Amino acid sequence: MNFDAIIIGGGIHGSATAYYLSKAGMKTLVLEKDYVGRHASGVNAGGVRLLGRDFAEVPLSKEAMSRWQTLDDELEGDTGFRRRSLINIAIDDADMSTIKTRITKLTGLGYDHEIQIDQQELRERLPHAAHNCVGGVVSEQDGYAIPYKATSAFRRAAERFGATFHEGETLANLRQIGDAWQVRTDKASYDTGTLINCSGAWADKTAMMMGDNTPLSYSAPMLMITARMPHFAGPVVGAISRQLSFKQFENGTVLIGGGAKGFADRDNNRTTLDYKKLALAAETTKTFFPIMKTAVINRMWAGLEAYMPDNLPVIGAGVNARNAYHAFGFSAHGFQLGPVVGDVLAQLITTGKTSFDLNPFRIDRFERKVL
Amino acid sequence: MSDIFDIVIIGAGPAGMSAALEAAQQGASVAVLDRKATPGGQIYRDVTQSPLLDPSVLGSEYTEGAELVEAFMEADIDRHQNADVWHIGETGEVLYSQDNQTRRLVARELIISPGAMERPFPIEGWHLPGVMTAGSAQVMLKSDGMVKDGAIFAGTGPLLYLIVAQYLRLGVTVNAVVDTTPAGGVVRAMQYIGGALRKPAYLIKGLMLLNEIHRAGVPIFRHASNLSVLGESKSVGLQFEQDGRTHSVNADHIFLHQGVIPNLNMTRALGIEHHWAEQQLCWTPTLDDWGQSSIPHIAVVGDAAGIQGAEAARHAGRLAALKAMNKLGKLSEASLQQQSSDHLRAMKSFKAFRSFLDAYYAPTPEHRIPAASNTLACRCEEQTMGQLRAGFEQGAKDPNALKALTRCGMGPCQGRQCGHTVSELLAVWQNKPVSDIGYYRLRSPQRLLSVDELSQFQNIKPAKKPAEVSA
Repeated sequence: MNFDAIIIGGGIHGSATAYYLSKAGMKTLVLEKDYVGRHASGVNAGGVRLLGRDFAEVPLSKEAMSRWQTLDDELEGDTGFRRRSLINIAIDDADMSTIKTRITKLTGLGYDHEIQIDQQELRERLPHAAHNCVGGVVSEQDGYAIPYKATSAFRRAAERFGATFHEGETLANLRQIGDAWQVRTDKASYDTGTLINCSGAWADKTAMMMGDNTPLSYSAPMLMITARMPHFAGPVVGAISRQLSFKQFENGTVLIGGGAKGFADRDNNRTTLDYKKLALAAETTKTFFPIMKTAVINRMWAGLEAYMPDNLPVIGAGVNARNAYHAFGFSAHGFQLGPVVGDVLAQLITTGKTSFDLNPFRIDRFERKVL
Repeated sequence: MSDIFDIVIIGAGPAGMSAALEAAQQGASVAVLDRKATPGGQIYRDVTQSPLLDPSVLGSEYTEGAELVEAFMEADIDRHQNADVWHIGETGEVLYSQDNQTRRLVARELIISPGAMERPFPIEGWHLPGVMTAGSAQVMLKSDGMVKDGAIFAGTGPLLYLIVAQYLRLGVTVNAVVDTTPAGGVVRAMQYIGGALRKPAYLIKGLMLLNEIHRAGVPIFRHASNLSVLGESKSVGLQFEQDGRTHSVNADHIFLHQGVIPNLNMTRALGIEHHWAEQQLCWTPTLDDWGQSSIPHIAVVGDAAGIQGAEAARHAGRLAALKAMNKLGKLSEASLQQQSSDHLRAMKSFKAFRSFLDAYYAPTPEHRIPAASNTLACRCEEQTMGQLRAGFEQGAKDPNALKALTRCGMGPCQGRQCGHTVSELLAVWQNKPVSDIGYYRLRSPQRLLSVDELSQFQNIKPAKKPAEVSA
């Protein structure tokens, strides 16, 4: 079968790329070895965060953030997005000056989305924060979405424009023939003009088949969620210098993250949890929000996520093959970029250019001495 | 080092207690963790301290449990009651909460017997206040001596008739028994009659129960179908069909039951291999004759290993203990075979008998797989069949995808109530066998765990000394 574009990987970036490509009129196929949203895209913390982004990511993240505000309408679906603001808490003067330095730098670059708040304002916004919290930094547009729903909304919107999704089909082999590609899976063989690698924690394997090496690693960031409890936190909460991260959903459940990692068994699609680290996250949450003492944990889990050495994703064209593109390695903060990365790739593929500076995200950046 | 045991057993029902007794007799160091205040499991719940003046109304099968419990209490076993296991590590580490403290011990060999639960009965109105399971009627009776007058008992299976008989012996009125055993059950079961005849005492006991209910003058509606609970904010009665006619019977309390299924949460969270058992219409851990699971140091016994009943559970417990001794190098292969043979033979005959029961009392599809779109499938997250169907049509074809999309199975019961329903619904909708559909991916904690308990993981306590336990 012939396609204009084949995307390897049905996560949020694969599904979003399929949406923008098929909207642009390309006949698109997504090959997903499990089911759409099975791994990091479906089970992450759902943070839609512009606050605290690496400077290289700010332009993409800002664009994504404005798209999130109306994404449900755009996709005619339900991503579960809620604008709630995100506050990173400062616990001492050192944290406050870290915030100040960063905001000065952001202002210099022309950005004004991060705002420092003092202790009184913190208490107004988060009355249940511990008394020793001295202030923080807020980004008003931030919030959360429901990861599986958002990924699935992109997929259905893509299907409405004619994209095809094959679930339970694993990539076996890639061959570049002339400018085109032959894609062989465990079930069939396809020809395509363009190939896009959105394979998440498996993206280094796909990249290698495309001729590009990449120093990707993978891990299993862990999460836990409480049973319903009374509402005590509107904003999403993080901290400047502690592994604190939680959000309370509309149904009262509280999702606790914090970046603790479990164990990833990529070959078997499996993760195991490190309960000692989850216990530390529970302890931190309780210390900052004493109301959480009585919370009860209902479920714990982890997802398989790809990381790059500099914690920045790979986005853009392949370097050792023609008509090859990558978007992977989002290092546990790619969910928010969903609505923009797919569009950037679609622009690159259909017009050959994009208005964003993708140099920090080149796949060969680790081979160059400047880094 | 004192918190490392040769064999750790989780659950002190007939299977767990028997395993502990055998292991102790064989000279192993044994610890038993049980979540209840007293040993006995569900079947022998509070058998040594019944609130009833005359516990014999509960039947001889119940009172016989007292002997096993007494033997268990006297043996050289580290018994930990009120020990609620919430995590079993792949290495054999067991974490549990006791008196609000997180404690830990380590097992060389693990034998787990998390028991059975009643099969969900997802019909219209099954979530209304006043509707309970027949098993919960029995728990109230065994633990608190509490009963409900004028209730309806509906469904199928030996336990249903047993509880009705127990009620009647106590002089409690029962409004009706609505029996959903299909007319074809007898015919289906006859092919297994050979197995049934191997246990004539059980057969006679079953017939006697039915006779007892009949004699007491309780209206029995046989081969009833299409059950639904009547009422808006609470149950006021039950509607059903019989011989093409619609009946409704009033009652404030309705006890539903259609057999029991393995309690999967622990075995699933451990990642033990499971299969769909067509005969019992439930997911079951895949085990050998000694209860050995796909994880080398873990055996599963009792009804969690597939429903076989309390007496079979005793043999299964002994077999698992013998095999564990063999794996520990404390029992030769020859001795294992020799000491196992009687138990293996007994298990075989219980299995044959169970085939008969399973065929006779097979729960009908209409009461397992909801057809009305407003019937609740997931009670915790209040997801109806119609909402699940909508999720399926949006592309969620796997139980975990459906869970992520609709929240079914995300609530505090961790999918106990809707797991089987969701597997079967997805199978029907895709016209695939249930075995191709799979089940929820589960993890620890095995129960709701307070943030306080979890954070104690930093400074975890070893198991209490036996002296402290008995104090």
